[in-house]
Amino acid sequence: MKKYILTAITFFISLLTFAQGETAETSNNFMLSNHKVFVSVAVLTIILLIIFAFLFTIERRLKQLEERQKS
Amino acid sequence: MNWLYSQWWKWMCAVLLLYVLIGSYMVPLSPGVSKVEPLSFIPDSVYTFHLSCYHTHFKNPGAGKIQFWFKAGNEYFMAKELNVLSNDKIDVKFGVGAKQQDSLKTNNFDLVGNDDIDGTFSLREGVTLIKAEKMDSGSTILATTGPVEVVHNKHQFLAFPYREILYESIRNTFFHVPMWFVMTALVTFSLIFSVMYLNKGEIRYDIYSHQAIVVALVFGICGLATGMVWARNTWGHYWVNDPKLNGAAVGVMIYAAYLVLRGSIDDEIKRARIAAAYNIFSIVIFALFIYIIPRLTDSLHPGNGGNPAFSKYDLDSSLRMFFYPACIGWILLGFWIFSVLARMQLIKQKQEL
Repeated sequence: MKKYILTAITFFISLLTFAQGETAETSNNFMLSNHKVFVSVAVLTIILLIIFAFLFTIERRLKQLEERQKS
Repeated sequence: MNWLYSQWWKWMCAVLLLYVLIGSYMVPLSPGVSKVEPLSFIPDSVYTFHLSCYHTHFKNPGAGKIQFWFKAGNEYFMAKELNVLSNDKIDVKFGVGAKQQDSLKTNNFDLVGNDDIDGTFSLREGVTLIKAEKMDSGSTILATTGPVEVVHNKHQFLAFPYREILYESIRNTFFHVPMWFVMTALVTFSLIFSVMYLNKGEIRYDIYSHQAIVVALVFGICGLATGMVWARNTWGHYWVNDPKLNGAAVGVMIYAAYLVLRGSIDDEIKRARIAAAYNIFSIVIFALFIYIIPRLTDSLHPGNGGNPAFSKYDLDSSLRMFFYPACIGWILLGFWIFSVLARMQLIKQKQEL
């Protein structure tokens, strides 16, 4: 499971960095297109990703509690 | 702590966040000038400036009389001729005479446009006049100060301000900024419980204070990550040397150290007391680094370098309509996650007894 999460994280990081080297003002990349609306989308995605990842860790802790309750 | 178990504020959280998410993406940006070509010009000849605008309605019959001014200092110069190409493209003719160049207060001209649908919109320091050293035939007067007759200064009913550099990413105000408010709220909350623990010595207060910090850290990391992406696409780099950024990083690390400190002590009572004491000191440093030091120095963040962030230039009424609900909504979400964690931890503690 950890492997998949790490793969996903590195994948998303690579998505955000593909335009490095150019200056933001001159480049014509995806993040700056459409008047930078995708920056806002990316920000929202990051927040949701982090919160969901956190919720999954809570879920795991809860499972441990439940198992202990059973035994 | 009965309110942790009540439902109404969780519904409120859901409603507020849905309102912000859907509402903020439905509201358009106000009209603005996004690009002008050429960027600079020399005196004594009439230039044709190609303007690309955003969310304007030049071709719309309702637009009425379209006007453009070139503004240097406080003087408005009329554009000589307008040629509307499409709704958001327009050619504007303008030139400055050689005689006039010395009377100008500044070389940078703001572009100001106006029509009946879009109201007034502008581009700050859009074009630059390159002053000539010596002009022989210095007799022409090309630019004429035009009467500023704004017939109709109607603004769209609801539109976010059009800011250069930010553009549509201005919506991040509802997502990046509240992250820090959530962190501050939870950290303050945790401080209250630390004080209560030191007063009363009940271990459940220690549990509350610990879990509040955990959730605060998650939101702090959210704030850093979103800030980095936003900075990359507006300021040009993921991390710029800005007091607010460094302060925020220090603030997050202080609370990360809190968790490390807790983890390193085995004895429950000792751990709770040391953590509570550490927590009381760390909020001072947190507030200092995030809210006070950036105010004293220059920072790229709005609201720093002495001026408050809630001024009318940073937040206009359309932003406020979503910003305040967003703050309340995200803070409630933080408390919701905290309540789940705290209740779980209480059960765990009971099991261990």
